[in-house]
Amino acid sequence: MSSNNKEEWGVTNLRLAFPKKKTMHFKDLSFHYVKGEKILLLGPSGCGKSTLLQVLSGLIPKSVELPMRTESQDIPESWGFIFQDPETQFCMPYADEEIAFVLENRRTKCEDMPSLIQHYLDMVGLKLEKNHQLIRTLSGGMKQRLAVASILALEPEVLFLDEPTALLDPKGTEQLWQTVQRIGKDRTLLIVEHKIDHVLDFIDRVILFNQNGEIFADGPKAETLRRYQDKLDEFGIWHPGIWDDYEKNHPGNQITANSKEPVLELDHFMVMRQKKVKFTADKLCIHRGEWVTVIGENGAGKSTMIEGIMNLLRTRGKIRWVFDHPEDHVQFVFQNPEYQFVTDQVDAELGFSLKVNNLTEEEIYKRVNEQLLRYALEEQKHQHPFQLSVGQKRRLSVASALITYPDVLILDEPTYGQDARNTFALLDLFQQLREEGTTIIMVTHEMEIVRHYATRVLKIKDGRIVDDSVNNSGEEKKSGQRVDQHEQIIF
Amino acid sequence: MDNVWTSTNKLFFKINPSLKFVIISSLFIVYLFVHNLNTMIWASLLFLILYYLVSGLTGKWSFWFVFLTLIVSLFSASAMIMFGKGDHIIYQKYLILITQESLARGILLGLRTFTFSLVGMIFATTTLPVPFFYSLMQQLKVPVRYAYGCMAAFRMIPIMAEELMHIRQAMIVRGMARQKGAKALYERMNRYMLTMLAQSIRRAQRTAIAMEAKRFSMTEERTYYYEIGWSRYDLFFVVIILLTVTLGFVCSAYFPLTPFTNVLDH
Repeated sequence: MSSNNKEEWGVTNLRLAFPKKKTMHFKDLSFHYVKGEKILLLGPSGCGKSTLLQVLSGLIPKSVELPMRTESQDIPESWGFIFQDPETQFCMPYADEEIAFVLENRRTKCEDMPSLIQHYLDMVGLKLEKNHQLIRTLSGGMKQRLAVASILALEPEVLFLDEPTALLDPKGTEQLWQTVQRIGKDRTLLIVEHKIDHVLDFIDRVILFNQNGEIFADGPKAETLRRYQDKLDEFGIWHPGIWDDYEKNHPGNQITANSKEPVLELDHFMVMRQKKVKFTADKLCIHRGEWVTVIGENGAGKSTMIEGIMNLLRTRGKIRWVFDHPEDHVQFVFQNPEYQFVTDQVDAELGFSLKVNNLTEEEIYKRVNEQLLRYALEEQKHQHPFQLSVGQKRRLSVASALITYPDVLILDEPTYGQDARNTFALLDLFQQLREEGTTIIMVTHEMEIVRHYATRVLKIKDGRIVDDSVNNSGEEKKSGQRVDQHEQIIF
Repeated sequence: MDNVWTSTNKLFFKINPSLKFVIISSLFIVYLFVHNLNTMIWASLLFLILYYLVSGLTGKWSFWFVFLTLIVSLFSASAMIMFGKGDHIIYQKYLILITQESLARGILLGLRTFTFSLVGMIFATTTLPVPFFYSLMQQLKVPVRYAYGCMAAFRMIPIMAEELMHIRQAMIVRGMARQKGAKALYERMNRYMLTMLAQSIRRAQRTAIAMEAKRFSMTEERTYYYEIGWSRYDLFFVVIILLTVTLGFVCSAYFPLTPFTNVLDH
């Protein structure tokens, strides 16, 4: 397939089936790319972008055995693959060993390895105290950059990136894309991603998939994105300007949290992790109907704070709920929805808290069905929660917390890894709950949520609340008109 | 795990892990055929001393390990002591029959358990997993797929510990921890097992794909980041172990503490 100076790879007429599904996933799909192209693959979740990426790299069917057929499958000679989950793509405990693993596979001489390891770490801008550092002590963003470094050790011509930032915070995301942009200059890039702000700068070709796994648009970046702007919203792609569009249709938080009734008071409250104090709040009072966002850098102590409030960690000092039995009134949603699940079936999961609270069978049945409809999980009700899509898992975890009609809802980065459509749906839901009087405490990295929804912002740094303000951060960025809107919030 | 080690610079850390593995394993066989109670007493004493000298664990951990081993040894001894056969009865009530012979056999058994654990711990507490598997590949020609499979599995252990904590937290949050009774307990255990198993399988699968994506080949030749060789420390190690074992036998011959030179005879 390759001519003298132009190398081309891809698949022709690909057909592929997933186990236990009767229909073919791809029907005669053809896709080709040439050396040096920087391509972004977009589509709704479950459309098969990631699967195609694995076919293009040859991982399917070589490592992942799926029944497939194709007229031709041209795989580049050297390629690297970055996966979504930073945790599971390493096989060695230490950072240097992980890169060495790749070098060993390439039969590099032992004495050349240390300098090469340093070289690849420098390429991704990863500065470690010492290269022999435990991988699990790195942040998610650093792990992903280490993954890139170890892939670079393969000296790949083509890089496949399968949503590498889905589990990263905004800062980690930005750094990763800067790295990819830098190292990708002379390489071919194929990227699947649904947060495209940082990716748009350096790609030149965009592929759009529909729900059925068909390519319906393929062309230069600017033109394709302009033509199919509405599709991006439909697919839940995070594109620049999506918040502006959203705000046009959604007024945001205009209702004042005017209640002065406290629901939670902390007094010299300390949370410990491994016998060390990791969070301290001298005084904090949260009132009914507030939407409190907790912000701060990674490792500042945000999750520690709310886990302490939920009594999941050892605490000292006083914590006073207004309720006699806080466990009946307060619900918690984990960052990773999978941690929430305690049963093997979606409907049982929803009914679980009700069963614990000894509600009657009929009542449980009624409420579960209500929630199944409301969160569009009706079809999945007999599935195992782990089999759901990322968005469905999140909806289920929120639904199973809300089914008891809690007065206080505490959430740890509920929009983490979610596409735009799911995020907005969730935010609308929380907004509605708040209007009905539910108090919301939410850890988030997403400043747009803070600006748009929060009535109160707690900034955590080094395990302390360094800033506790009613929300007015909109003033800095937005026009005068918006300031007025936000001023109504101030009480 | 890192806070468990005092220092990885001690002598026994520098020994070729394969050699250590082979020597330590052969010790098991040696003591399996010792039926002289005196030898066993001296051996366990000497290995206890050796363990304290060479172990890489911090004092606190070390103490609890030995303590736990003692308890386990007591259990394994007690069955033999209380229900054994013999002519010289010391104590008898209901089913329990303690004789001099069974007492000797029981103590020997207990000490054997104790010695085995000590010897095992001398190995385990002075060997880091990664160099160990590298050495297995290089010296004992263990196939790379098993070695790397084991190393990848080692990486999973802390991840699984974290997972255990998350499941516990989920149970608290969802009210599962508040349920009482045997059925609830069963369901909780079930939950722990199922979730851990399901997640581990998924993780293993993903890691395997990632390893193949990094061109891990189970058959082709490869080079090694750590080249594990030999040093004079290996000689020291062999000498130390030989000395300890010989000293045990010599002491039992010259300073027999009990009359039971062969517990099977009596």
